[in-house]
Amino acid sequence: MLAVKGKKVITITNGVIKDGVILIEKGKIKAIGPDIKIPDGVKTLKAKVVMPGLVEAHCHIGIWEEKIGWAGSDGNEATEPATPHVRALDGIKANADEGGLVAALQEGITTAQVLPGSANVIGGTGVVLKTAPKSTTDEMVIKDPSGMKIAFGENPRRVYGVEKKVMPSTRMGVAGVLRDWLQKTKNYLEKKERTADDPEKQPEYDLKLEALAPVIRKEIPFRAHAHRADDVATAIRICEEFDVDMSWEHATEGHRIADYIAEKGVPAVWGPSLMARPKWEMRELSYDTPKVMYDAGVKFAIQTDAVGSSIRFLPICAAFSVKHGLPYDYALKAITIVPAEIMGVADRVGSLEVGKDADLRLLNGDPLEVMTKVQKVIIDGEVVHSL
Amino acid sequence: MLALVNGKILTITDGVIKKGTVLVEDGKIKALGADVEVPSGAKVINCRGKWVMPGLVDAHVHIGIWEESVGWAGNDGNEATDPITPHVRALDGIKANADEGGLKAALENGVTTVQILPGSANVIGGTGVIVKTVPKTSVDEMVLVEPSGMKVAFGENPKRVYGVDKKVLPSTRMGVAGIMREWLYKTKTYMEKKDRFKDEPDKLPEKDLRLEALEPVLRGVLPMRVHAHRADDAITAIRICEEFGIKMSWEHATEGHRIADLVAAKGIPAVWGPGLNWRSKWETRERTFETLKTMYDAGVKIAIQTDADNGKIGFLPISAALAVRDGLPEEEALKAITINPAEILGIADRVGSLEVGKDADIRVTNGDPLDPRSRVELVLVDGEIVFSR
Repeated sequence: MLAVKGKKVITITNGVIKDGVILIEKGKIKAIGPDIKIPDGVKTLKAKVVMPGLVEAHCHIGIWEEKIGWAGSDGNEATEPATPHVRALDGIKANADEGGLVAALQEGITTAQVLPGSANVIGGTGVVLKTAPKSTTDEMVIKDPSGMKIAFGENPRRVYGVEKKVMPSTRMGVAGVLRDWLQKTKNYLEKKERTADDPEKQPEYDLKLEALAPVIRKEIPFRAHAHRADDVATAIRICEEFDVDMSWEHATEGHRIADYIAEKGVPAVWGPSLMARPKWEMRELSYDTPKVMYDAGVKFAIQTDAVGSSIRFLPICAAFSVKHGLPYDYALKAITIVPAEIMGVADRVGSLEVGKDADLRLLNGDPLEVMTKVQKVIIDGEVVHSL
Repeated sequence: MLALVNGKILTITDGVIKKGTVLVEDGKIKALGADVEVPSGAKVINCRGKWVMPGLVDAHVHIGIWEESVGWAGNDGNEATDPITPHVRALDGIKANADEGGLKAALENGVTTVQILPGSANVIGGTGVIVKTVPKTSVDEMVLVEPSGMKVAFGENPKRVYGVDKKVLPSTRMGVAGIMREWLYKTKTYMEKKDRFKDEPDKLPEKDLRLEALEPVLRGVLPMRVHAHRADDAITAIRICEEFGIKMSWEHATEGHRIADLVAAKGIPAVWGPGLNWRSKWETRERTFETLKTMYDAGVKIAIQTDADNGKIGFLPISAALAVRDGLPEEEALKAITINPAEILGIADRVGSLEVGKDADIRVTNGDPLDPRSRVELVLVDGEIVFSR
């Protein structure tokens, strides 16, 4: 058993507890409150501020390894525009010395979704994992697959149309490729069902279509990479045609279409924001966007796209959003419980509640203050980082 | 009949005989021990002061398939034009001439059994073959087991050859796993169809050589020889092999120290090496002889390989010696170049130790086999003297 005392305990879902205590047993939060008695002999950690470990809903740590170049670049299988059968899980280096994981732990980001990149129209499946390195990635996983990465706009057009002179070279083409594969998958599943009692007529097993089947069955959502509003509108159009779920990844033009996506109930995972505007489709990147989406009632999380930017910037991105009008409480939610909900792991992480995983971040000051230090990080009840 | 007398005999599987005799008849070991009587008429070789041990076994080489000193005309190890070539066979690429440098070096160093594998450019590279290293008119006469395993490769090599150089799949680790799974599923489907329509020849699928070659892998009969340096690549291989019920050995195992416990628990053997190469690429940056001790302590079955001609096959005993320097027990180091690779290759009933009834593949040195100054003076394969000085 382990106890953590905080002058201020930010639960995220249940307010702030002054002089709070959290009791941890077998990796879970056993009790939390102001009047919890710490049993004799239990090791107790103290901090000014205690909050849940941060949750990053969109990153590429471990799959674009730091400082290696091509030998460690495993995020984009940019050789075919549709590779639904590849899995981020098979490309992640989980070593304790991998820069992305080290940075995540030092900053107290304890859960992350690692996704394939956005070169391909259909890029493969993502995985949600805890950031504490283990000898195998499999031991870090809390959800696999966690979503099917798809991409709209400049990236697939550049990689295929501009560089390889093959489809898709246009936004129309991107949508065409995606619809093609969805229709193929639907046909395949219908044929499988229709011929269920007649093995001779069953379609041949197709790994790519099998990988897309959980999307059609709404067991996993699309993680739709799109910066521009018109690209997300296309994504929504296609998802509605095929009755599948999606989240909007990047949402750079979220301010342009906030009411629409709020009404559609599409969650957004906004970012990366602490970087230059490297391409045309990101020219409207602004910290004003989170407030506009919030005011419209969009459910959104904040992301760093690490190693597109650094995962350590996650709390700073939330802080800048507050500077530009996003309510403080929501900014904290946007890096904890909201991404957890969007990834379907809110029963385990994203807030301090009895029964949830004991993933904690111990600070010497306000979590959105740049000067604040992360003093200790706990994952599943184990101290995994300590200043 | 041949009698090696007065030598110090390292049996490998049954301890050391300080001064004893090995009797050889009809290519097999007929008797061995301290008190073996030498029949009259036997040819006697006096091994006083010398060390007698089984011929060495290297479970992972490319001798004869990357011919020495020839260039492209003799490079037959990597059919690096298509990431999936399960239907190609190392056997069809081996030059067995007596003057082929790799074979010569093997014999001069008393390496008497090797597994020759296709290279690691392809995700699925083709089948390997186990041979005795004595040149014959045809490679076929040298073969012990064929096919002996299906070579598959993870990590930088297939990524570089296809993704970087040719700009086709696979360019990532995800892509390597994806295309491999695709072919394994194709094979499964093919096998199911064959089974379903076995009484209806009209409906049988057309014979597909690639899928036929993969079939024994999926039946669990033929293991995958999994090229992987990094731990995460081995983990992906294990993940896939478990999905399909496939047997595997971990070839190279450069990061074996990182996942030794797991590999031990899964019962996956590791064929570690080449140890005497430099760290030529990122995925080999952790190469150290200490890995062997770590794996041994964790209970992994380990063999040492030279990857010849990437490393030289003559470095096999030196590699074992350096493993001892870095903590591997001496007895285990000797096993790692004899009986362990024989077991991993499934030929321990014939080679890898000096035991009555086994092939008379014998290596005589003028000193401790792990001392690099020791010289190989006599090599027997199947009871015949194939090298002496």
